[in-house]
Amino acid sequence: MMILALDSTENTAAVAITDGKTLLGSTVINAGKSHSELLLPAIESLMKASGLNYSDIDLFACSSGPGSFTGVRIGVSTIKGLAFGYNKPCIGVSATEALAYNFIDFDGIICPAMDARRSQLYNAIFLSDNGSITRLTPDRTIPASELAEELTSYDGPIYINGGGEHIIRKAAEGNENVMPTNEILKRQNGYSVALCALINYENAENKDGFTDLALQPIYLRPSQAERMRNGEKE
Amino acid sequence: MTSLPITVVTASVIETENVGRELGQYLLNNGMTDAFIAMYGDLGAGKTAFVRGLCDVITPGAHVCSPTYTIVNEYYGGGRTLCHCDMYRIESDDDLYSIGFYDYENCVIAAEWCEKIPFALPEKYIKLTIKKLDGDNREITAEEVENI
Repeated sequence: MMILALDSTENTAAVAITDGKTLLGSTVINAGKSHSELLLPAIESLMKASGLNYSDIDLFACSSGPGSFTGVRIGVSTIKGLAFGYNKPCIGVSATEALAYNFIDFDGIICPAMDARRSQLYNAIFLSDNGSITRLTPDRTIPASELAEELTSYDGPIYINGGGEHIIRKAAEGNENVMPTNEILKRQNGYSVALCALINYENAENKDGFTDLALQPIYLRPSQAERMRNGEKE
Repeated sequence: MTSLPITVVTASVIETENVGRELGQYLLNNGMTDAFIAMYGDLGAGKTAFVRGLCDVITPGAHVCSPTYTIVNEYYGGGRTLCHCDMYRIESDDDLYSIGFYDYENCVIAAEWCEKIPFALPEKYIKLTIKKLDGDNREITAEEVENI
């Protein structure tokens, strides 16, 4: 199964093409440019280098949040557009879960942390055990100090990554279970999104639901427009 | 302008723009191209005129207009970006998130009506107050604030 996967939920623009679990190509750019400028050229260049046509792709995938409002929208819109245009299935995966897949070869507690600003982190806790990732908490926003406190309740190695990695590392200073993180594992990468997407897609009983219409961004907080539509205007 | 705080009285829109230019030059001279300028002043005080002068230095060539309806205008010029925000219709942190406010980095942000977002002001910012005096006269105060 050919998968085109991307992540634009934080500053890193990440794209990968895989054939099942085999990586065909990957691009990770963290150079401070906007996703709207980077993402489509990165996809185009990767497709060309891989010698593939868009019609060869069987599944389009993206991290659908939580994360930067603009980044989440760019990623989800791009994948929705490709899936609609080529009439192929698409799937959104949790941005924290995709980050957790960076550590699939490590056994321990995985704690992705993305900077949600104003001293908050987007986070979830996962257990990585013998090549499988199990979610222990839902995606949430949590103050760094609270998360650091929570991490003291786990035994064994704790691996942290994401754009808020430095924040939680500082907050959890003194917790000897927190392991150092290799630079390449700190950031989003398209392969982890593809792997997470493949596993979720294969585990789903009903695959008819993976349509461009069904793919939705996950903000963890309703947008102003949604709240107004729901009559909750403050 | 070589240091802050300053208080000046202007007698016309052009003079208000000129104070914007001076602050722009101050920011450039001090490498503050990621500064946050929190602007306070009534309707018609001259906030947009001030930003016009600011942009003339920070993002030369950009056409400045009021962000009342758009909430955020982005101006580009001189290899830099300036985001001109109007917070008048912002009611909560979720509103700010959903205009992409937290995605703006490495740019000067000039935000009007910061009375509406006291919860989102950064740790360090420049507080700019424009007070209407008689006629076209305006008292403009700029000061650096540490909000820790």
